[in-house]
Amino acid sequence: MIRLDNVSWHRGKKDSAPVLAHVSFMVPQGGFRWLLGPSGAGKSSLLSLLHIENLPSDGQMTILGKTVAQEEKRSALVRLRQRIGMVHQDYQLMPDLSVADNVALPLRLQKRPEDEIQDEVHAILKWVGLGERVGVPAAQLSGGEQQRTAIARAIIHRPGLILADEPTNALEESQACRLLDMFAELSAMGTTVVVATHNESLIRRLERPFLFLERGRLVEDGGAQA
Amino acid sequence: MTRPFSGRKDGLSLSEALPDRSLFALVAMMGFLAALTVAGASGARALSARWSGGAAQLLTIQVPDADTALTAQNGPTTRVQAVLADLASLPAGSEVHQLTQPELSRLLEPWLGETDNTALPLPAIIRVKLPVDTSVPATLEQTLNTHVPGTIVEHNARWGERLRALANSLLACAGLALLTVGGIATMITGLATRTGLATRKDIIKTLHGLGASDSYIAGRFAWRTATLGFGGGLTGTLGACLPLLLLLQMAAPFASTPLTAPDRLLPTNWQALAATIPQDMLVALLLLPFAAAFICWFTTQIMVRLWLLRLP
Ligand SMILES: Nc1ncnc2c1ncn2[C@@H]1O[C@H](COP(=O)(O)OP(=O)(O)O)[C@@H](O)[C@H]1O
Ligand SMILES: [Mg+2]
Repeated sequence: MIRLDNVSWHRGKKDSAPVLAHVSFMVPQGGFRWLLGPSGAGKSSLLSLLHIENLPSDGQMTILGKTVAQEEKRSALVRLRQRIGMVHQDYQLMPDLSVADNVALPLRLQKRPEDEIQDEVHAILKWVGLGERVGVPAAQLSGGEQQRTAIARAIIHRPGLILADEPTNALEESQACRLLDMFAELSAMGTTVVVATHNESLIRRLERPFLFLERGRLVEDGGAQA
Repeated sequence: MTRPFSGRKDGLSLSEALPDRSLFALVAMMGFLAALTVAGASGARALSARWSGGAAQLLTIQVPDADTALTAQNGPTTRVQAVLADLASLPAGSEVHQLTQPELSRLLEPWLGETDNTALPLPAIIRVKLPVDTSVPATLEQTLNTHVPGTIVEHNARWGERLRALANSLLACAGLALLTVGGIATMITGLATRTGLATRKDIIKTLHGLGASDSYIAGRFAWRTATLGFGGGLTGTLGACLPLLLLLQMAAPFASTPLTAPDRLLPTNWQALAATIPQDMLVALLLLPFAAAFICWFTTQIMVRLWLLRLP
């Protein structure tokens, strides 16, 4: 479950213009939301708050049922972050590591047994179509391959919340559709999903409530009346 | 193609972010300095201990014109006999010994040679060893001088105290030097860690986002600098061992276990020499690499954890 109450966020100083202003919405556990809005509206910024890379400057934020605030213990935020999967717009892969090691990272940070990790990584890489590329350093991958690696890394540890920032812009149509089907399936199984995108045909394919941002304000919340 | 899985790699690649050349070499130099300082401190401590021990209880009395008769009423006593008579009043258990002619000759041999030196007007030398926990009566020298003018009382304790004060100030200097060396090591480690953090900023942010805890990231950096610090400290300490053994060999005549005075620069019997290394110095030298590792580990832990506070 995600809940934002009157959340504002300033990049840096508090007297600067807010990147996000008075944002309030709620997504139940297992809910799916499209995050829409023109470029520069604050979609990536909102996702960085939901991923707890940044804390709200104002207002209340609840992620996966837990209140996230400045005074929260760091270890509690670490545990919460381990339950979130994030696909960054710029992928944020470890350039020196192989595809397999990149995807294994969330599991390794949770200290899962190594043989279990390798089985899971092979399975998920096969699913995203990178079965032949497991040993290639991330720095040598094409854009689409990097994006698929980032997607695999975001879902391998079965997070309770998946955040994706334009996750299909480097993918072919068929791959994008497959990814969307998987997101829908995960959502049906109880994972909360928020996907920021510009891809109109994608949105038409999966009709779900959307959050529409404009200049840092939430101007439409398709899930509010539901 | 490389192997798909490479063990517990996390992308920090610290062997490149914290390269060994700078930190290792600088810590090695600090280790070298610290080893020499530790050796000096240990020597000063041994001296101090010796002088505050037995040497303080010794008294040397010189009686010039010892055999001249004293112009006294009570019998034909010589000056030295009068002094010895006075010394009978020292605390019970005192050992009083007048050096015999052969002992005196042996004492003076380095200066006068092996000649028959009875012709020289030598003073009588009386050695007094006081029992432990007693002190010389304050009036002793005065008493002796009224009875036998010209008697000189040399109280070793006075010298002992001065030497001990010297040794103690040497110890204090060594302590300050060690603190300085530790401070420099801390600064070097801090700078290296800062550089490492700067070059791995994005990787750390990503790891943090993936749910890496502060202790995991700080531990990874600290383990790296601690390893470099241990290696550097070990190298520096080993490097200091050769000059230390040479110094020890030169100091051997002053040590309690007499090695023969060195007649060449390089000792022939290394093992015997190594056996004379004081225990406390050996322990301190063995601890040095660990101390270096700890300084590096601790500094890096603090630095990285403080840096991470900028991320929620
Ligand atoms: N690194 C940055 N430094 C300063 N301003 C930024 C930075 N990234 C984005 N912004 C600004 O923050 C606002 C929101 O950006 P962003 O969240 O990336 O929007 P979106 O993802 O919807 O395109 C924009 O006005 C953008 O110019
Ligand atoms: Mg964006």
